[in-house]
Amino acid sequence: MRWRNAWIVMRKDLDEFKKQKFVIGSIIAMPILLGVVLPLATFVPLVTMAPLDQQWDIDGLLEIGSLPDDTAAPWTNQTRTDTSYEAMVFRHTFFKNASLTNCIIESCILENTTILDSTVQNSSLVDSVLLNVTVIRSEGTGLDGKFILAVSSDLAFTRTKPSEIDQVLPMMFNMILMIFIIIPATLPTIIATYSIVGEKNNRSLEPLLATPTTDGELLAGKIFSAFLPSMGATLLAFTLGVVLLDIVLIPKIGYPPLPNLTWILSMVLLAPTACLMSVLACVLVSSKVSDVRAAQQLGGFVVMPVVILMIGVLAGFIFLSPIMIFVFAGLYGGLDLGLFLFVKAIFNREAILTKWS
Amino acid sequence: MIVCEGLTKLFGSVTAIQDFSLEIPDGCIFGLLGPNGAGKTTTMRMLSCLIAPSSGMAHIDSYDIRKKEDAQKIRGMIGLLPEVPGLYETLGAYKNLDYYGQLYGVPKQQRQEAIQKTLSNLELWDRRSEPVGGFSKGMKQKIAIARALIHDPKYIFLDEPTASLDPVAAKIVREYILELKRKGNTILINTHNLSEAERICDTVAVVKNRMVKIGNPKQLAKGLFTRTVTITLQSIPPKVLQEIESFALVSDVQVKENQLIVHVRNPKEDNPQILSWLLQQGAKVQFIQEEEHSLEDVYLKLIEEAGQ
Repeated sequence: MRWRNAWIVMRKDLDEFKKQKFVIGSIIAMPILLGVVLPLATFVPLVTMAPLDQQWDIDGLLEIGSLPDDTAAPWTNQTRTDTSYEAMVFRHTFFKNASLTNCIIESCILENTTILDSTVQNSSLVDSVLLNVTVIRSEGTGLDGKFILAVSSDLAFTRTKPSEIDQVLPMMFNMILMIFIIIPATLPTIIATYSIVGEKNNRSLEPLLATPTTDGELLAGKIFSAFLPSMGATLLAFTLGVVLLDIVLIPKIGYPPLPNLTWILSMVLLAPTACLMSVLACVLVSSKVSDVRAAQQLGGFVVMPVVILMIGVLAGFIFLSPIMIFVFAGLYGGLDLGLFLFVKAIFNREAILTKWS
Repeated sequence: MIVCEGLTKLFGSVTAIQDFSLEIPDGCIFGLLGPNGAGKTTTMRMLSCLIAPSSGMAHIDSYDIRKKEDAQKIRGMIGLLPEVPGLYETLGAYKNLDYYGQLYGVPKQQRQEAIQKTLSNLELWDRRSEPVGGFSKGMKQKIAIARALIHDPKYIFLDEPTASLDPVAAKIVREYILELKRKGNTILINTHNLSEAERICDTVAVVKNRMVKIGNPKQLAKGLFTRTVTITLQSIPPKVLQEIESFALVSDVQVKENQLIVHVRNPKEDNPQILSWLLQQGAKVQFIQEEEHSLEDVYLKLIEEAGQ
């Protein structure tokens, strides 16, 4: 195999591709729609409308919060354990294993207590859950901080269990990630199905086959010329999608969630192997049919292995972890190699020239 | 040298060409003549290693078209112009030629010089970047011919090279083909243009799914037809009309106004005797001329016979 010849074939195909403005448009538009617009349309309403965990900059808010009259350290003169209270005011009380709803709590110590829709001021909190609670000038550790509006300092939140968003995000990321696997598997149907049958219809195949270029060189050139634009458009949409999703999510969860290891591995291993598989299948179809439309119709079936993976993910049978990425990338890589050898073996110059007329 | 022996190609039950044998010496222009479907393009494709023969063999120089390892070398020695130019219509003339130059392994500088020279000769250098899709048929054909020659091949196979060209462009191409011959190239032409074949081909082969006849265009005519002589008289005496049919040296006599059209076997020896006989009969001879059979006559007769 002289790679130089494959490179020449690829460059010529890319030169031709650059002249097809509508094809370029569809190659870029599809990943942008699926990989950028669709995820944003999913996440923006979620983060703007749903109640999410929030951790405010409590020191910054001290200035606008009203300072309590009693700034002394909390002390207690009574203990209440294993009890629920609603709509009451407590001062200087030690709560343990209690539940407080719609209460005003001042200068108390609360341990392992659940506090709902209340105000806590000048108190000390340990291992408690606070839901929709305004905390003023207090301290605490081991807190689960859902729905907290804190105007205080020295509160150490420790997530004792995953929040709703933490549970939902990985599932959603998995589904969005599938889009970035589907895109490179779908795009080659636009380019690669044209590769051989297009040359035949253009009547340029005969002079091309009359050159000393071998079957392998010709096929490799055709494969790369479909692979590169497909992966290029996918990476463009991936980068744009990741940046915009981070911009949307950082204010709500406090850190850029993407790209995580799974996403990076997917882009490095799974997307290219899925893309290559699609390209190979499309080139195979293209070398066997006599009409571009037939090639594109049949080319639609080549995304089936990726669709199977997607169904597995959506149905919850498969979770795209790094290990699963390696497994599927290996599987797709093996299929790619087998397909290339198969395409090369059945590529028949004579049949292409004489049976397509 | 190209040598074919018993070359046969079957497509299923259809015989494209059968038992085709010939020798094309170096530096010769060889024409393949035949109707559509006669197997000319199939033969050219087999010799270009695009399709494999069903049986028989062919060598180009010392390379065997049946051997896979030789096919690549043979393709490198041949410049092929197919029936249709098959250019990349969205690309410019320069890129079309450059692409093939690269595939044939022509060094960059040599390639650039060759392309510049060719496109300048075709008066296309200023339009080298324009998509060739906008060019005329003739212009595309010229670019396709230039593409076949980009690697300076020893053997040039041209399938209907002047089919889509206007008379002036066709003449330029014919002259170019003759120039290539002078340079020592060996040229195989498939053509329907019989006057063109007659003018430029050293040897022609009439094919109709097999070799019908091979030879120099003029020799073919001589071997195929009896010689026709037209004798124009001032007037035809009645005695001549009555007796010429029985005159031993002529056959198939036709009378057209004051002309006698007769077929003779050996004009050089027979014509003086015929003339003296006519003079004896009182005929006054104005002109005598031999009718030459064109390659078209030869072709039509051969194809008709092959059909029978």
